[in-house]
Amino acid sequence: MSDEFEVEFIEREERSARFVVRGLTPAIANGIRRAMITDVPTLSIDTVRFVENSSVMFDEMIGLRLGLVPLTTPLDDFEVGDDVTLALDVEGPATAYSGDIETSDELVQPADENIPIIELKEGQRLEFEADAVLETGKSHAKHQGGVAVGYRHLQKVEVVGDAGEFDEEEPNILRGVVETEEGELVATDEFGNDLTNRYPGKEVEVTDVPGAFVFHVETDGSFTADELLLRAIDSIDARAAELEDAVAV
Amino acid sequence: MELRVIDKTDEELRIEVAGEDHTFMNVLKGALLETESVVAATYDMNPEQSGGQTDPVLTIKTDGTDPLDALGDAAGLVQTQMGTLRDAYESAAGA
Repeated sequence: MSDEFEVEFIEREERSARFVVRGLTPAIANGIRRAMITDVPTLSIDTVRFVENSSVMFDEMIGLRLGLVPLTTPLDDFEVGDDVTLALDVEGPATAYSGDIETSDELVQPADENIPIIELKEGQRLEFEADAVLETGKSHAKHQGGVAVGYRHLQKVEVVGDAGEFDEEEPNILRGVVETEEGELVATDEFGNDLTNRYPGKEVEVTDVPGAFVFHVETDGSFTADELLLRAIDSIDARAAELEDAVAV
Repeated sequence: MELRVIDKTDEELRIEVAGEDHTFMNVLKGALLETESVVAATYDMNPEQSGGQTDPVLTIKTDGTDPLDALGDAAGLVQTQMGTLRDAYESAAGA
């Protein structure tokens, strides 16, 4: 295998990306996918000290909900095991939102401000102090930075002729990203996932492109999709370096 | 990452790689199979069946080169691959 990889973006946003990588082996593609899910750590609330909880939910249930609130995670400033203190104080009637959480570190904020924690009625109050800890998705799913990470084969669509004049028009559904004969990469939702919309009256042939993988990466907001992928690559790289050192002794 | 050699001859090696799972082992196996001196390579997670053994066991057979050297080469290859992949992604992201 050549060590030449080629990356091409189809969509690229802050929290999600879709791109094609050529020259990958299935082993590397899957290694990176798995590393993005389990090996890139994020901050998540792990310990809560309740001052007052007169809401309708038990402390434990609130604790679970808090753990699922994504927090922005500056990975350069923290190491696995480090923690950050957060606090919240909301009095009813009001809804306590993730945006009400106060933080002791400017860099660590709730990634979304509009996640409801609990609705408080007249006279109910929620006050607590919490520690968020940096851990990997391996230890608990709340620490997964990548929430929708996967890949498919890139498929090539070729027009091989005209469809039979009296053939029944049947939809030809395909999902993912296709490569046209001109080498253009097209996401299938651009033509309603139906090849007969793009090639009406044509007979087409669909084949997998060897070694080309279409990744779809989406993060929970802890960091950008770029960061997630690069950190996953770093984690495999670091382990290979550690192994090489260990063997060399 | 802790390594425990189970068996070693001039051309064969069985080694336990503590604390790793499919994420790294499969990438490593892929790289081993691309290494010229390696004739055969596989790994076995075999968790419950082997009486509580949960760490993967890597088996390498070479053409006569020291299998530890082959393992070192493969680890180097993984680093090269990750390096080129990082560069490829960064240049595409920067463009």
